[in-house]
Amino acid sequence: MTQRRVALRLKVPDTTAYTALVALRRLGVPVARVERATLIAVPAGDDDAALECVRRDESLFNPNLHEIEVVRLGAPGAGEIWIRADEASSMQAWRLTDEQGLPVPPPVLERARDALLCNPAIETAVVGS
Amino acid sequence: MKRVAVVIFPGTNSEEETVRLLRACGADAHLVHWSRAHTLGAYDGYVLSGGFAYEDRIRAGAVAAHDAMMDPVIDGARNGKLVMGICNGAQILLEAGLVPGTGDARRPTAAFTHNVPPHFICKKVYVKLAVQPRRSSITAALPRDAVLPAWAAHGEGRLAARACEMEELETGDHLAFVYAHADGRVDDAATPNGSALHCAGLVNREGNVLALMPHPERVFPPHAALFKSFVRGVEAS
Repeated sequence: MTQRRVALRLKVPDTTAYTALVALRRLGVPVARVERATLIAVPAGDDDAALECVRRDESLFNPNLHEIEVVRLGAPGAGEIWIRADEASSMQAWRLTDEQGLPVPPPVLERARDALLCNPAIETAVVGS
Repeated sequence: MKRVAVVIFPGTNSEEETVRLLRACGADAHLVHWSRAHTLGAYDGYVLSGGFAYEDRIRAGAVAAHDAMMDPVIDGARNGKLVMGICNGAQILLEAGLVPGTGDARRPTAAFTHNVPPHFICKKVYVKLAVQPRRSSITAALPRDAVLPAWAAHGEGRLAARACEMEELETGDHLAFVYAHADGRVDDAATPNGSALHCAGLVNREGNVLALMPHPERVFPPHAALFKSFVRGVEAS
């Protein structure tokens, strides 16, 4: 059985992502939109089984609040930072875009990481290229 | 009389108990709402009380640490004003880099993070002064090895840091309070959250900023020794 990675996102407004946006802008990080997902590693034989595994866990998934999908990438894409807290099995994936809706470049991601999104004492961040 | 601000972020709680105990200890203490951040610079000392500032979004204390409310607190701490953070206030001080203060401002080098086991705890505990009282102006009026009752009420109170930083916390005398039994013994059984080094509270290098996870102000009957010492320190500063 292989590990699959499932992204869990809010389908209602994400106040944490909005708070991150406001805080980052206050800190001078040039970002226009922040999105957030929780990446959950699931041991499952196929994608459907992985999604069903998350759907069944009521501590994770509420169909009124969340949408889920299997993530194919093994590393963050453009405009993304993945942050794992030490000893945590899941990760937070942040996606930052600029005024044109384009992924922000790595230097901006690094500023966001260092200014707010990652506490290096307890977390590890991977920045998308 | 010197003035103490009890700082209110969106999501702060315990501020009424905190300001009441400060006043009972002789302080001219005031609640300062987040809309009044511009007035904070005029105060002589700061207390960040418990709660869930900004709902602990991103991480406990992270957003508050970067709020405009913290600008005058950080400036004040750099200028020697006394700052005490309790519970969420302690988490904010670590996220703001004021405690242990071994890195740059707003670059945290440690955290009070998820308990082990990962549950919210709510229980009476004891904390023991683990430094010489005069190591910090905030604890200077406490007796050596003081054991104080307090109320632990947190899901994220476990001290965690990288190994090199942990060594600095020990050798740099940052470990202000440890969890203990009522008789002063320190061991794993007295530590409710798996905190490294049995840590309940940290102090910065200069000794003017203290971050303490359990709540002294929630104990009944009130046990005011730490608050009295803080107020005396503010008056002397």
